[in-house]
Amino acid sequence: MPKKNIVFVLNEYNGHGGAQRVASILADDFVQDGHHVAVLSINEQKDAPSYFSKNIPVTVLHKDDYRATLPKAISPNLKSLKLKTVASEINRRIQLSRRRKDVGRFFDQYGSEEVFVIVVQVWGMQWLQPLLYRPNIKVIGQSHESYIAAKNSLRYKRILKYYRQVSKFLLLTGKDADHFESRGFPNVGVMYNPSPFRAQVAADKLYRNKTIVSTGRLVDDKGFDVLIEAFARVASDLPEWQVHIYGEGPAKESLQNLISILGMDNRVILKGQTKDIQSALSSSSFFVLSSKAEGLPMSLIEAQSCGLPCISTDCAPGIREIVDDYKSGFITPVGDVPVLSRQIRRLASDPAMFSEFSEHAFITSMRFENETIKNQWYDLFDELGGQQHVKERA
Amino acid sequence: MLRNVPKEQSNPKLSVVVIAFNNELYIEEALESLHEQTFDDMEVVVVNDYSSDRTGELIDRFVADKPTFKAIHLEENSGGCSTPRNTGIAHTTGEYVMFLDGDDWYTVDACEKMVAAIERTDSDFVGGQVIRTNTYEIWYHKQIYSVERTNINIREFSMLLFDSLSVNKIYKRSFLDKHKLRFPEGIHYEDIIFTGKAYFLAGSISFIPEPVYYWRVVENADAKSITNRRFEFDNFRNRIIAHRMFDEFLRENGDVLYQHNKNNKFLRHDLKLYTNDYLLFDEEYRQQFHLLIHEYMHEAMDEYAFIKLPERERILYYLLYIGDREAFEDYVAYINGLPTKQERVYAIGRQYYFRPSLPGNQHEKFLGINQPEIDFTLSEIQLTEDRLSFRAKALMNSVASSSLTYKWGLKNRQTGERVQGAMSESGLIQFSLNDVSPGNYYLSLYVSHQGNVHKRLVKRGMIEELPNTKVENSTLSKSLFINQKNSFAVKVEPLKTWDQLKWAYERRRNTATAKRNSILDTPFANYLKNLYRKLPVRSDWVLFESHMGKQYSDSPKYIYEQMLEAGKKYKYIWSLEQPGKVDIPGPAIKVKKHSLQHYYYLVRSKFWVDNQGIAHLAKKRKDQVYVQTWHGTPLKKMGYDQKTRPSETELKRLKTQTKAWDYFISPNPYSTEIFRRAFRYPGEILETGYPRNDLLLKQPPEIIEKAKSSLRIPAGKKVILFAPTFRDWDPNSFQKTLEDIQTLSGKIGQDSIVLLRLHYLLSNMISQHNLPANIINASNYQDIQELYLISDLLITDYSSVMFDYALLKRPIILYCYDLEEYVSRRGTYFSLEEKAPGPVCRTIEEVYDFLSHPEKLGSYQQELERFSAQFGVVEDGNAAQKVIDEVFK
Repeated sequence: MPKKNIVFVLNEYNGHGGAQRVASILADDFVQDGHHVAVLSINEQKDAPSYFSKNIPVTVLHKDDYRATLPKAISPNLKSLKLKTVASEINRRIQLSRRRKDVGRFFDQYGSEEVFVIVVQVWGMQWLQPLLYRPNIKVIGQSHESYIAAKNSLRYKRILKYYRQVSKFLLLTGKDADHFESRGFPNVGVMYNPSPFRAQVAADKLYRNKTIVSTGRLVDDKGFDVLIEAFARVASDLPEWQVHIYGEGPAKESLQNLISILGMDNRVILKGQTKDIQSALSSSSFFVLSSKAEGLPMSLIEAQSCGLPCISTDCAPGIREIVDDYKSGFITPVGDVPVLSRQIRRLASDPAMFSEFSEHAFITSMRFENETIKNQWYDLFDELGGQQHVKERA
Repeated sequence: MLRNVPKEQSNPKLSVVVIAFNNELYIEEALESLHEQTFDDMEVVVVNDYSSDRTGELIDRFVADKPTFKAIHLEENSGGCSTPRNTGIAHTTGEYVMFLDGDDWYTVDACEKMVAAIERTDSDFVGGQVIRTNTYEIWYHKQIYSVERTNINIREFSMLLFDSLSVNKIYKRSFLDKHKLRFPEGIHYEDIIFTGKAYFLAGSISFIPEPVYYWRVVENADAKSITNRRFEFDNFRNRIIAHRMFDEFLRENGDVLYQHNKNNKFLRHDLKLYTNDYLLFDEEYRQQFHLLIHEYMHEAMDEYAFIKLPERERILYYLLYIGDREAFEDYVAYINGLPTKQERVYAIGRQYYFRPSLPGNQHEKFLGINQPEIDFTLSEIQLTEDRLSFRAKALMNSVASSSLTYKWGLKNRQTGERVQGAMSESGLIQFSLNDVSPGNYYLSLYVSHQGNVHKRLVKRGMIEELPNTKVENSTLSKSLFINQKNSFAVKVEPLKTWDQLKWAYERRRNTATAKRNSILDTPFANYLKNLYRKLPVRSDWVLFESHMGKQYSDSPKYIYEQMLEAGKKYKYIWSLEQPGKVDIPGPAIKVKKHSLQHYYYLVRSKFWVDNQGIAHLAKKRKDQVYVQTWHGTPLKKMGYDQKTRPSETELKRLKTQTKAWDYFISPNPYSTEIFRRAFRYPGEILETGYPRNDLLLKQPPEIIEKAKSSLRIPAGKKVILFAPTFRDWDPNSFQKTLEDIQTLSGKIGQDSIVLLRLHYLLSNMISQHNLPANIINASNYQDIQELYLISDLLITDYSSVMFDYALLKRPIILYCYDLEEYVSRRGTYFSLEEKAPGPVCRTIEEVYDFLSHPEKLGSYQQELERFSAQFGVVEDGNAAQKVIDEVFK
């Protein structure tokens, strides 16, 4: 395979969200295959470690820690004498035009060689817009959340503005792709997030762990309170079972209070952040995601990759592309404690069903296997590069 | 058959009937949702409809240790929901009854809420919200379940019919028993009948805006549930059977009055499901479908059931109703962007219709189309520094292609500039981009069809492949661009920083001025206006205006030119809408109407000379003089004489004008009398004849020469002036005119030329290249008087044109195809038929008959002389001078 130039564009390369995770997994894979990978980051976090390997060069656009503000109109603000706003807007425009030039110079390094630019978050597009007109540069835009979650946000407007002319616009699920296709995007495609690991643990071994696991930042949107309430309703029916929640966050104290009030101190345990998700999963039985909104949750994909059945709230179109209701897990309405509790009890108290679901979950996780996803990326590169080739002949 | 009979003494408050058939996957969840209810005083009867899977076993296991649950196993499969539900009801004892299907579930407090609601309202039954699990949206939420509705009746809120589910409701058992209301056995769609009957039997119904029922929707399921198998014809037959039973019930129950409400729901919900799927049906299905729906529609409704439906449904159902399968299938194809077997879309005037195959004269009422479909695609888009080009395929579906012309245009949204596309020899559409300014040039397709122009903005989806091209020269970059709303444009941007800043400023100014209606609205302008008003009136300034600034014409023009000739020492100002486009001889200053400059002259000129009304533009000052020349001898009734008395605001406007007039010019005694009365005008009337008619009596050869050459009229041709009036009540009169001139064009041959003169409101709807060679569009010619001079004959209808033209003593044909309508709408001061200066024709053929027989036309010489004598009595070719002598002493 000829070596390719691949550039990832991120808001902050050393953030700790799902986007950085996914990008770093892919980047490592590409490097391993000998491709030239670089990261272009709009901003950076001060003194934070990054998921990316040390051998991948990172270029930060705003080294001075300037953070671009939202665009504003100058004239009305000038009229109402909001001079600070006007000054900051003028600064933003100057910065934007300068940094665009920096981006231009960054890509000048590649000469006329083909470069695949993976824009992980749409924010970065404002600096990359002029690149759309460089024939050797193939911009691949991504959106890592469901259109329902994005719908009322500025991100959605930015997608409408910047992703119409990119070579490919990748969504996480078919439903999201359908949505944007119906909005007139001719360039949509679906690309799943890759699972960083895939190793089956025997179903009976998992079942014997008698542990329900969940992971995520401890914030209200993740709905851990629903999980705790739901478990508490059926805890007496499942005397040997425990719930382990991995993660840190601002809601930790209130969750701990809830656990105490429900008398679940010995049954629901907030385990804090873990470095080793895989072993946390392997020592559990099944996974519960009780979020209010998601894209294509990595946590479910990872859980299935270890053979864990999953119960998830129906919080994004992506859920149904991971979990098969009544086949590899259960899907419950968002925020519905009684239904979630019953499905937890059903799965926990039926070893035969558990084992069937576990098998099915592991088979499903094939779709998200590293190797599979990587090859889909290579197919995509061929497709986009191929187009240019055809045009040159014509 | 019965197991687990509970040994309860007192009856429970609520009974829930659960029915199950092969629901092994979901039945436990359904039952658990009941077992965990926050409400206790209830019994549950589970009826297993002879399931072939583990459902029965799971039910038995579940109810085993629950005394309030009992299971009933039917001994054969009933094939529907009715028998199990009725069986369940028969085994319940509660005061209230609810239903649950074996694959759905209740919210945890459903029973508590429903019992509370029915006890609180004492309604016969109460409905609660249903949530479908594929969307998590509430079933008929906006229409029915958005608010609490207490003790209503179906007859006051028929929208309820759209919720024909039986499972999301709680019923008083006494209500069901009193009316012997049970589910009809042996048919499908039992809910349509059960719920329908319940609605009409109930004295009062309530609805609570609370979710109670989860409807499990399994997408891509292998086995589709009964109600989802729409491709089997039996399914449709069953639905019609259910509706017929419901109809019969309405008749028996004395509720035929509400049949139309029920029809409305049938059309908008039930039938729509099938017409949406029509393309998927096979021939056999289609045959049976047309037969049955035709039969059923004629039983239950007439065609007016469709008249208020959205366009597509209205047309689909009407074609089904009249039994026109060919046209129906063509319409289905049409709305799906597929070719139709016949050309079916046609226009009468601006209104489009879909043509059925069957004859009839009522069709158009039901088959109107708001906007015809236009399909187009672009390919091979190329952008170079000086050119945009592409190949295009465009098609207005189902319309005869010979009557269509397709044009492409770019418009700069920031500056309003336009670039027209041209077709190259190789069939490429090309735009020259040599002289473009910055901005986004959006591309549109203009399809013109019988005088209607349909504009379609080009969206990304219509472009096959769009390269991201950007080209640059020394000052500008041009790129292919898609905006947020998916519209395609050529983006032109300045490259140099200085140009960019300049452009940013101009762009802002463009949008800022576009927002304001007129410069006169700005605060600064108000200040100036006040200042101007304080400056003295100049007694040697004369402000002219004709037809609201649209033309340099009519009596103001001839007064002005006469003043020039007489060597009057005045400063002349002409107010015009587009000063740049009009040539005015002599030293006159041209000002743009509504500009500050215009206002300046308006308030400082001593004299105003105008033919319509400018008094509302600025309050007339004490020493100003307003000469109202008016613009024609009246035939149709005006002002206070109008058939219906004008409204207060109209009268107020009229008064503003008449009060300002100092002199009013009248062409003849007949008009003098009318103007005085119709305008309630007490001021001075100058009965001088019309200054504009001086030209007709003098007939200067150089004007004739100028007019002929500017309209490129070949020598030796007979010239016919065709000047119809504007019929504001009939938007299609324009099309009628187009048809008529086409007919005329074909008949008159190459020896004659028709000059077409349309009302200024219509003049932009027509362009020369759509006209045959022997028709010349003279609608934009400034001065109609000059057209009179060069024409040998006039065709008109109710226009004052005839009074002027009669002075020439040349033949006039009155083409009044709608004389009665005009007279009854407008009213005339005299009978046109009696006094006409020529023949009054009703058809264009009649008109042609006179054209081709000059001797017949000649026989009207006497009428013409008489007419000219009466209305031209004071005209002597010196009207302008007489006016000047009176006013500018």
